[in-house]
Amino acid sequence: MTEGVIRAQKDFPDTCLCCGAQSTGTHFCSGCGKILPIAESSDHFSFLGLPRKLRLDLSELEKTFYALSRQFHPDYFMTASEPERQASMDRSSMLNDAYRTLRDRISRVTYLLTLEGYKEAEKKAPPDLLEEVFELNMQIEELKAAKKLGDADEVTEARLALENALAGLNQKLAAIDQRLLVLFEHWDSAVDRTAAIDDKKRVLDGMSELLSHRSYVRHIVSSIQEEL
Amino acid sequence: MPVIELSLSGRPKSARVVGIDLGTTNSLVAYVSDNGPAVIRDKTGNGLVPSIVYYDHEQDRLLVGEKAGDRLITEPRKAIYSVKRFMGKGSADVQEDLSLVPFQIAPGSEQVIGFKMGDRVFTPPEISAFILRDLKRRASQFFGEEVSQAVITVPAYFNDAQRQATKDAGHLAGLEVLRIVNEPTAASLAYGIDKKDEAIVAVYDLGGGTFDISLLKLKDGIFEVLSTNGDTHLGGDDIDNRVIALVISQLESGTATGIGIDPALFQAIRKAVIKAKHDLSERDSSVIEINMGDSGAYRNELTRNQFEALISDLVERTLGPCKQALKDANLSPEQIDEVVMVGGSTRIPLVRDRIKELFKREPHVELNPDEVVALGAAIQADVLGGGRRDLLLLDVTPLSLGIETMGGVVAKIINRNSTIPASAAEMFTTWVDNQTGIDVHVVQGERELVEDCRSLAKFTLKGIPPQPAGLPRIEVRFLIDANGILTVSARDLRTGQEQSVEVKPSYGLSDEQIERMLIDSFEFAEEDVRKRQLIEARNEAATIMRAAEKALADYAAGLIDEAERAGIHNALDHLRQVLGGADHQLIREKTNALDTASHHLAEIIMDGALVSALKDRKASDVAEG
Repeated sequence: MTEGVIRAQKDFPDTCLCCGAQSTGTHFCSGCGKILPIAESSDHFSFLGLPRKLRLDLSELEKTFYALSRQFHPDYFMTASEPERQASMDRSSMLNDAYRTLRDRISRVTYLLTLEGYKEAEKKAPPDLLEEVFELNMQIEELKAAKKLGDADEVTEARLALENALAGLNQKLAAIDQRLLVLFEHWDSAVDRTAAIDDKKRVLDGMSELLSHRSYVRHIVSSIQEEL
Repeated sequence: MPVIELSLSGRPKSARVVGIDLGTTNSLVAYVSDNGPAVIRDKTGNGLVPSIVYYDHEQDRLLVGEKAGDRLITEPRKAIYSVKRFMGKGSADVQEDLSLVPFQIAPGSEQVIGFKMGDRVFTPPEISAFILRDLKRRASQFFGEEVSQAVITVPAYFNDAQRQATKDAGHLAGLEVLRIVNEPTAASLAYGIDKKDEAIVAVYDLGGGTFDISLLKLKDGIFEVLSTNGDTHLGGDDIDNRVIALVISQLESGTATGIGIDPALFQAIRKAVIKAKHDLSERDSSVIEINMGDSGAYRNELTRNQFEALISDLVERTLGPCKQALKDANLSPEQIDEVVMVGGSTRIPLVRDRIKELFKREPHVELNPDEVVALGAAIQADVLGGGRRDLLLLDVTPLSLGIETMGGVVAKIINRNSTIPASAAEMFTTWVDNQTGIDVHVVQGERELVEDCRSLAKFTLKGIPPQPAGLPRIEVRFLIDANGILTVSARDLRTGQEQSVEVKPSYGLSDEQIERMLIDSFEFAEEDVRKRQLIEARNEAATIMRAAEKALADYAAGLIDEAERAGIHNALDHLRQVLGGADHQLIREKTNALDTASHHLAEIIMDGALVSALKDRKASDVAEG
């Protein structure tokens, strides 16, 4: 690990390194063709030239990622000037972060919510799961106790019960994902028809709540898997 | 010898970037020729340089490679091997290794290990630098010009400190390290360079000391690493140690008192065991024979079955990382199109069988597992040198990066298998009023608690203007570059000012230490320089001589007068007389004299070539018209 070098001036968006003028080009200066330093304001969607929508063609996304990688990668800036090398590093790392975030639909919607001013979704039990959770915790405790006692029959029994519960939880997760996908559609059409802020907020609220449920269920699933 | 474009004055063209595989057991240097990547070999055709360094303090003699290996048995205390296992580590990390090698550790090895060799202490980067310097010399001789830029490979699962130690070694050897490349990724380049189809490739790399598994997607010249995993402490050395332990126990049970294993005997056993291991990749049984001088001889048969029973759990240990890599890439074994085997230990039939079972397909073994990494490094060197733009490696960071938070818990900021360069920004503030500094502890690893992860560095954000607690907003940016090495920078968001960061690496050498080592290494370097100058002078002389001889044989030689021809012959004779000597300046002098004497003739030949080229063109123009 080494100490960082002074980073390129980032207070001015996309100012060309050689002409010094504000540039109209994306990523590269339209005047001199040199790589541009990164603008502070850029988000993952706009960086990749995408509208802020949730349904993405993943093979198109990969194409964009590869094409931009070929333009930005530090491998191709080995003999360039120091500011250009820094810009290449900044753009590459931003590209990688953007691609990693957007290619997975859950991290994509999570990111969108942050952009729209939502806090990270906290784990929250779906209402229809509240009763089950108590039961599940009991079963986990039973398995733990059976393991401790070394009672093979009890262990098998408790394990079976948990495996059943797990299957049910996985179904719940699939159902949550289905509902999320429906909201993805709603969001995209709201963006397309530049819907009123309230309409958009309703969709965002819905997605935020589903994410809370999702992370709660996933938490239980992983604690069961750990025990099994 | 390669074809190097030369002007008539014999000056080689631009600098070259070579690819270096700095291995636990063997090291190699390779380059890209007109016919593709090639390993640079010695006169006998050998490309492997054993990663062994011998140092004799009294005679101030340094040997590297085969010659150093010869001393392992005769003077085991003066030779270091498998130094790669000690790179970027402190003494607490390597207690087990140290119990198996005869090396003496100097006091104060907590952060960087120091090997005692006579009165001198060498750190792993210095020992590695001796090997790198040998490879550099080999390449420089080959090209007849100094090679000063290289790509060096490391195990994909190497952490930040191990990568930095490798980069330091390059620096100490007088090499500009353009890139640290992961070994399995390099291997995939060598393997996939000619492949046109899209494919998911698994590279299984079991070398002398380390194990890596990498899954890659190859598409349109892009080599995208999807996931990587491994064990930087698992390889051929561990396999050897199993068999060595067996032999030692048999030797001890054969004597009433038990024998103290002295280092020379240990090396003799090790050598015999390695030979048997190699045999068992071809045959069903081998005989381990050790001549113990006055104590007689050891002779025992080892069958492949016995051998496999001894090492099966080691082979098994590679399967866990393979499964984790599959899981991380969200792939099932059936989705892997090709499995490529890299590293000498993949010659072991048991390894091949287990991998075949796991991935449900026949692994590729047609590439030389000892050379494929160096060849790939050469290809990457060619890309970085500007030779080609059609290939691009997109590698990942093998370990998650985190920072210590309250209660010794790790907050992950960059996850493992993130494509590099990767960055993350974190906001820091103060806890008490008028606090002017903030301590940050950076770790690498997958575990929840700081104590279970690898400490990378501690740094302090200094010079924060006194303000009420919680008011300052310092943004720290963590950037893992394309080498997999972390850089930290910080900014005060309120003022926009760059914030000073003082980084204290937990393991590894400080800049001051490296500077001191650079000065130390000059005493060895002086002789190196003299030798290199002589070789370069001879190479250049040979080129000029060939050109002059060719010129004299040209019909154009009839166009100059007798005196001028005699002058060239004279200059040739003089150069021949001094060529065998050790005075590089004299050789240069006579080379220049020959160059001057033959200059006029060369010009005439050039003109003639031009005229005849023009004639040809006219003829073809006429034919086409």
